[in-house]
Order: sequence, then C-alpha cells, then structure tokens
Amino acid sequence: MRVAERTKNDGGKAAPVVAGPSVPTTTRSSGRKRRGVNREGLEAGRRSTRALLWVLLAAAMVLYGFPFLYLLFTSFKTPIDTIAVPPTILPREWTLENYTNALGRSGVLASFINSVQTAIISTVLSLVLAVPAAYGITRYKTLSGRIFIMAALVTRMVPPVAIGIPLASMMAAVGLSDTPIALSIAHTTISLPLSIWLMSSFFEAVPKDLEEAATVDGCSRLGALWRVVIPVVSGGIAVTAIFAFLASWNEFLFALLMTAIRSQTTPVVIANFQTQFGLDWGSMTALAAVYSIPVILLTLLLQRKIVAGMTLGAVKG
Amino acid sequence: MPATGPQPAEEKTVRISDRRFALCLMTPAALFLAVFVAFPLFRLVADSFFKISPIAGGPRDFVGLDNYFRAFASDAFMGAGWRTLAYTLIVVTLEFALGLGMALLFTTLGRSSQIWRTVFMYPLMIAPIVAGLLWKFLMIDNFGLIGTLLHQAGILSNPNQIGWLSDPDIVLYSVAIPDIWLTTSFMCLVLFAGLQNIPGDLIEAARLDGARAPAMLFRIILPLLRPVIAVALVVRGIDAARAFDTILIQTNGGPQSASETMSLLIYRTMIRFGDPGLASAMGTLYLLAMLAVAFVAVSTIWRPGKDN
Repeated sequence: MRVAERTKNDGGKAAPVVAGPSVPTTTRSSGRKRRGVNREGLEAGRRSTRALLWVLLAAAMVLYGFPFLYLLFTSFKTPIDTIAVPPTILPREWTLENYTNALGRSGVLASFINSVQTAIISTVLSLVLAVPAAYGITRYKTLSGRIFIMAALVTRMVPPVAIGIPLASMMAAVGLSDTPIALSIAHTTISLPLSIWLMSSFFEAVPKDLEEAATVDGCSRLGALWRVVIPVVSGGIAVTAIFAFLASWNEFLFALLMTAIRSQTTPVVIANFQTQFGLDWGSMTALAAVYSIPVILLTLLLQRKIVAGMTLGAVKG
Repeated sequence: MPATGPQPAEEKTVRISDRRFALCLMTPAALFLAVFVAFPLFRLVADSFFKISPIAGGPRDFVGLDNYFRAFASDAFMGAGWRTLAYTLIVVTLEFALGLGMALLFTTLGRSSQIWRTVFMYPLMIAPIVAGLLWKFLMIDNFGLIGTLLHQAGILSNPNQIGWLSDPDIVLYSVAIPDIWLTTSFMCLVLFAGLQNIPGDLIEAARLDGARAPAMLFRIILPLLRPVIAVALVVRGIDAARAFDTILIQTNGGPQSASETMSLLIYRTMIRFGDPGLASAMGTLYLLAMLAVAFVAVSTIWRPGKDN
C-alpha cells in the first residue's frame, strides 16, 4: 500500500510532499489521511495527473465491461431485433422472450443440472486428493514430494484434446460413458494439479510449531492434520474449491468429447445452438447470460479470496 | 530440514517414517494422475503407431512411423503449428502489455481504485465458450456491432468493410480477441501483486535520484518484476497454445483453415476426418513441443518445492 501511494508520482513532477522516506506504519488510517491531504492542498500538476489516470481507468472499464453488457442487453431484445441490421445497443423493446425460448428447449434445464453435478463431484474429488497430497509435499520436504509436484505441474501442459478420446474409451470400458462421474473425473485432471499447487502455498504459510504442539499433546500426525492444520487453512480450502468449481463449470472440450445426450453440460448446449437450430442468437445470448451470472456474482462476493488464490499461486511459485 | 532429535539413531527412524507418511498422503493423488492422465497419454502415443479405423472395434494395423511422416508432410499440420505459435505470441504479448498497463494504473491510483480492480476481474469467471460467442456476436458480418459503430463514427465507409471473422488475412487476430479479453485480468492481477511487493524505499530512492517515469519503469520496476513476469508469461503461454473453445465457436477454424490452430486440427482429424492414428501422432508431437517448453520453464523459473 505504501508502494501504491508513492508510485503514483511516477507520472509527473516528483513531489517531495509525500511523507518521509521511511514510514513503517502502514495502517489504513494513515493512507486515508494522506489521501485527504492529496485532495485538499495538492499542486495542480499532480492533481491533473491523477484526474487523467482516472479518465484512463474509466475508459478501460467501459471498454472492458461493454461486451458483457451488450450480451445482456441483446438477451432482452426480441428474437428478430437480435439480428437486426444495423444493430442497436439497447433493446427497442425489453422482453424475456429469449429466456423463455432458451430455457424451454428440451435438454437445457437438464444440462444445468449436469453442470452443477459435474462441478460439485469434481470439486470434492480434487479437494479430497489435493489436500493430503499438498500437505505431504509441503510438510515433509522429501525428494518424492518434489518430484511429485513437478509432475503435477507438467500435467498442466497436457492438451485436453490429446487425452480426451483415450479417456472417453477408458470410461466406456468401465461402463461410465456419458455420465457426470466420467466427465467430473476428466475435469479433475485439470483442477487437481492446480489444487495441489494452491494448497501447497497455503500449507506453506502454516507455522510448523502449531502441529508440533498438537503432536506433543498426543495427537497422531493424521489427527494433527485433521484437527489442527485443516481448520487453520480452511480459507485456503475455500479458495481452492472455488477454482476447482470454476474449472469444471466453464470447461468445454472434455464435455464435448465425453458426453452425448444424458450428461451434456450447458457449454456444449450453448455451442450446439449454433448448428442444431440454425443460428438462434437470441436464445444463445439468453442462455449464456444465465450461465455466467451465478459465477460472476459468486466472484464479486468472494473477490478477496479469489484474488488471494490467484496471486498466491503465481507469485509465490 | 533441521534435525530435532537428540540422538542420531532416533532421528533416523523418525525421518523414515515421516517419509513414508508423506508418501501415503501423496499416493491417492499420484495414482489418480497416473490412471487418468499418464495412462491416456500412453494410449495416445501407442495409437500414433497404428492405422486405426474410426469404427469401434475396427481393424488396427501397425504402421510404424507412417503417421508421423504423414503429419509432417501435410500442409494442414505445419500450417496449424505456425498458426498456434503466432496465436500464442499475439495473445501473450497483447495481454502482457495491457495487463501491465492496467496493473500500473491500479497501482498509481492506489486504494481508491480497489473496487474497479474487482470489476475488472469479472471476465476471468466467464466460460471461454461464452466469451467466444460474445465476441463473435460483436464482430460478425452484417449485424456485428463493432463494424456498425466504426461506420457510425465515420472510420469505416461501410459496416462490413472489415471482415473480422471472414477475412483469412486477419481472422487469426480477431479470434485472439476473446482470449485476450478473458485473461488480461489474470495478467493484471499477478503483475499488480508483484508491484505491491516492490519495496517503497527503492522507488523513493530512485525518485530522489531524479529518475523519470520511463527510467523508473524499465530500469527498476520491470527488472524487479522479472520472476513474476516470467511465471505469468509461461502460465498464459501454455494456456494460449491450447486454445480451443473460443476459436471453435467463432470460426470453427475457418475461413479456409486460416484460424485452425493445433487443438482444432487434432480435434477435426480425430472426429470429423476419422483418422485417430494420424490425430494421435499429431497429438504426440504437439505434446512433446509443449513438454519441451514446460521442461525449460519449470527447470529455469519455477523450481517448485524449494524454499525461496
């Protein structure tokens, strides 16, 4: 935060107004106070730089936010207006027709249930496998652990298109083809390495004394993990769960290769709208909106945790 | 690892059982990855040496390296290889430039921009298939909004002047847009976090020395961010090289294969053209290329499992 406040001078005339070179107290109140000072008695140059930056940010946000807003607006148009030439940004007439069309189509509601089912199974599976593995890797820094986390990371490079078909035939061999379980296993191959990676970062932050104290108190190692360590990293587990859920919810290629009618997830249904019913743009936009809004809301609600997870994984490495 | 046991003998037994315990914890995940990733990969490589009938239970003839020769001899394969490389470079370069710009913007604006940082993150949660659809709708001929808006602004003489998704010369750039839109936020987030870790004193000292903004960026900020930048570029590069969803829904690889990247080609060879043997050979080569990159990246940048 100190950095944040200071680097803002980059853009212009260096201003020695900013508090002394070493102010170790970086509390929120001090930040606010400084900002207050900035607003009132600030030289024009810096104030205008700041204003310019805000304009830039506003422009970027509009550009960035617009595509999804346009999708939303379009979903409320009448089916004919959806493909009107020239297109309008706002609907001429607001209607839910696209939504009733999309959701009324056979298979659409079932695909939602499949998506939810698949994502939940995959999330649980990833966590059950990743939590102990990550703990084993970080707590006991053995050679096998180091090799394992490397291997898990390399798995990230495997293109799904390369293993989708063999995986599908394996599932068929055990009688699981076209089921949410088969698809969630495929999705777990994506989310498990990510989960191990994330959970390792979270375990790394737990002080070792904590469970040593627990073992001295007579807990077994497994008991210490379960009763002492897990509660401490529960926030990290939540983050990992969100990522695993999203990975499955948004996945398309495995779903395309491994599902037919019974277990099709919504992304496949959205894509199929293009061919199956000609180009039904209205229903497509409505379904896309319905599918995206829950996860966008979820993210906005849990944004702090998600930011933590993303940066932990990538920055700590 | 510091030795805590007072006697060497005791220490040894404790450590061995610790090692075994760690192994037990890792085994389920390792088994899972072995069965569901390593084994299918093995099948893929094995299939690449056979000529396989697309019909289930059809004949399988061993053909040695024939599929590999066919892959290298086909224009489609070489073309897709170059397009995948070009696509990856386009996506990663633009994302990095935009992501760094946004991260610097958020940093210079400080706390007051926090809420916008959250809003900026939203595309990360959208399914790639939806993003592809969304941008196709914006760029499509006739009723695409972008052409219309540029026309109304007087930049284009007619709304269809640029065939974003129908002109083979530019389609590879157009199909990259949703990918860039989706994950610039990721780049921004990671770089932003990296920027927060730069010690304030350093910036202060540079400023006292009279460093101007460009010098500050190129001499101080970027070199300090190097490890973070490296990780972000590798992570995104690998994802971009596997892009499938956004391209499939926008153009299905067309027009005239001008946007057909490796994932799409393998998919079409496997499913549409019904040649699993050739597709497996292509998949194996694709995978080897990715693993080569991954190996270099992991051994030079990540070094996971070690303390930094």
